Amino acid sequence: MYKKCLLLMTVLTLASCSSVNTQDTSALESYNKAMFEFNYQLDKNIIKPVAKGYKKVTNQFVRNRVSSFFNNLEEPQYMVNNLLQGEVKNSGVSIGRFVINSTLGLLGTFDIATSWGLEKKKNTFDATMAKYCVPDGPFVVLPVVGPSTPRHLTGWVADSYTSPLYWSLANSDDEKSNVIVWSATGLKYINLRAENMELLDSLEQGSVDYYEATKSAFLQNRKKFVSLCSQADNSDDNIPNYDFDFEADF
Amino acid sequence: MKKIFAVVFGVFMFYAMTSYAQLDSVKAENFIKKVTTQGIEQIINANVSQEEKDKRFEKLFNEYLDLDFIGKFVLGRYWNTATATERTEFIDVYRQMNIKTWSKRFDEFKGKKFIFNGTSASNSKNQIFVNTTVPMKQGAPAKVVWRVKDTNGTLKVVDIIIENVSLAITARNEYTAYIKKSKNGIADLIEDLRQKSK
Repeated sequence: MYKKCLLLMTVLTLASCSSVNTQDTSALESYNKAMFEFNYQLDKNIIKPVAKGYKKVTNQFVRNRVSSFFNNLEEPQYMVNNLLQGEVKNSGVSIGRFVINSTLGLLGTFDIATSWGLEKKKNTFDATMAKYCVPDGPFVVLPVVGPSTPRHLTGWVADSYTSPLYWSLANSDDEKSNVIVWSATGLKYINLRAENMELLDSLEQGSVDYYEATKSAFLQNRKKFVSLCSQADNSDDNIPNYDFDFEADF
Repeated sequence: MKKIFAVVFGVFMFYAMTSYAQLDSVKAENFIKKVTTQGIEQIINANVSQEEKDKRFEKLFNEYLDLDFIGKFVLGRYWNTATATERTEFIDVYRQMNIKTWSKRFDEFKGKKFIFNGTSASNSKNQIFVNTTVPMKQGAPAKVVWRVKDTNGTLKVVDIIIENVSLAITARNEYTAYIKKSKNGIADLIEDLRQKSK
């Protein structure tokens, strides 16, 4: 069920974005704004109150253990993508981290590997595609997930198949497995939302147009992938080296 | 003779430009070191009341950030159509709003330190990027780049770029989109910012 949802979301997004040209941009922009508002209301009325409640009943130590557990489940993703990008050494580090933290780190709840000098080598399929110069596509707001692009979404779905949580449940399509996967996914995002409570509140309070601010920040952050493509001009090392031109659009 | 002159001139220019760039880089990096040290030691780690911390932050903000320049940039082409009163009012509320937002968020840097990674050239005249990273509890260090402008020997910060996200460009995109769709343009923006900075 979970995989079907992810696949459906990917297909719909890619289909809606594949034919986007300049004339369709305003239609996509209208959809994005409507979906952003839907997500905002969902967050305001359901996700944020749940995250607040979760924050009340947990302390920082517990939340750190939860973050660490889910971060450890991403190590196989880093291992695969480092390998796909030819970073063999980093791929080995990710395997080492996963083995150490899953055992001595008590199922990944403690990051022992970092204290042993094995720093995390984060990588994604989104970055792998960027490395092979796959275009990012237009900005699109997804239901619940939020800001994305076709390449970002494809990478996200592909990476989900590298999680040990899905391997262990891959051959069982019963109701219980679905409940476990959805509950774990829910806990992961509620924990993440709780950990970013003050930051998101501050961004919203200081913003006169939250959609535009979010879109601008998301797209600027995406530019970090440009340098991964060997055909790209990497001369500015990804710093937004704009001129202080008072007439330009960014 | 012409060739010798060209070579001598070339060598002279190379050394002149290199020494200028080095001087500028060192000066800019030292300036950001001063700003971050002052912020961490005299505000975040200081054993004073929150009211006193807010006062110190406002002073630091006004002293080291060129809000007049940033304010003009974030209004984009609308700066040209704004009246003198609107310009003054906008800079004032923009300053107040930023002080309010950042004095709250400044504590996020508690226990953190900045690692300096040199400078990068800028496309704009008299400006340079100072590259820093901030080690995080979990995950990779955060990349923070400071855009520094030299105006007649006085250095000021004109943008902060956190993980590739420029605060100036984000504000500019947000404000120009807001003005474009609002009924009373800049006047509405000023009023909205005033409400948010209360």
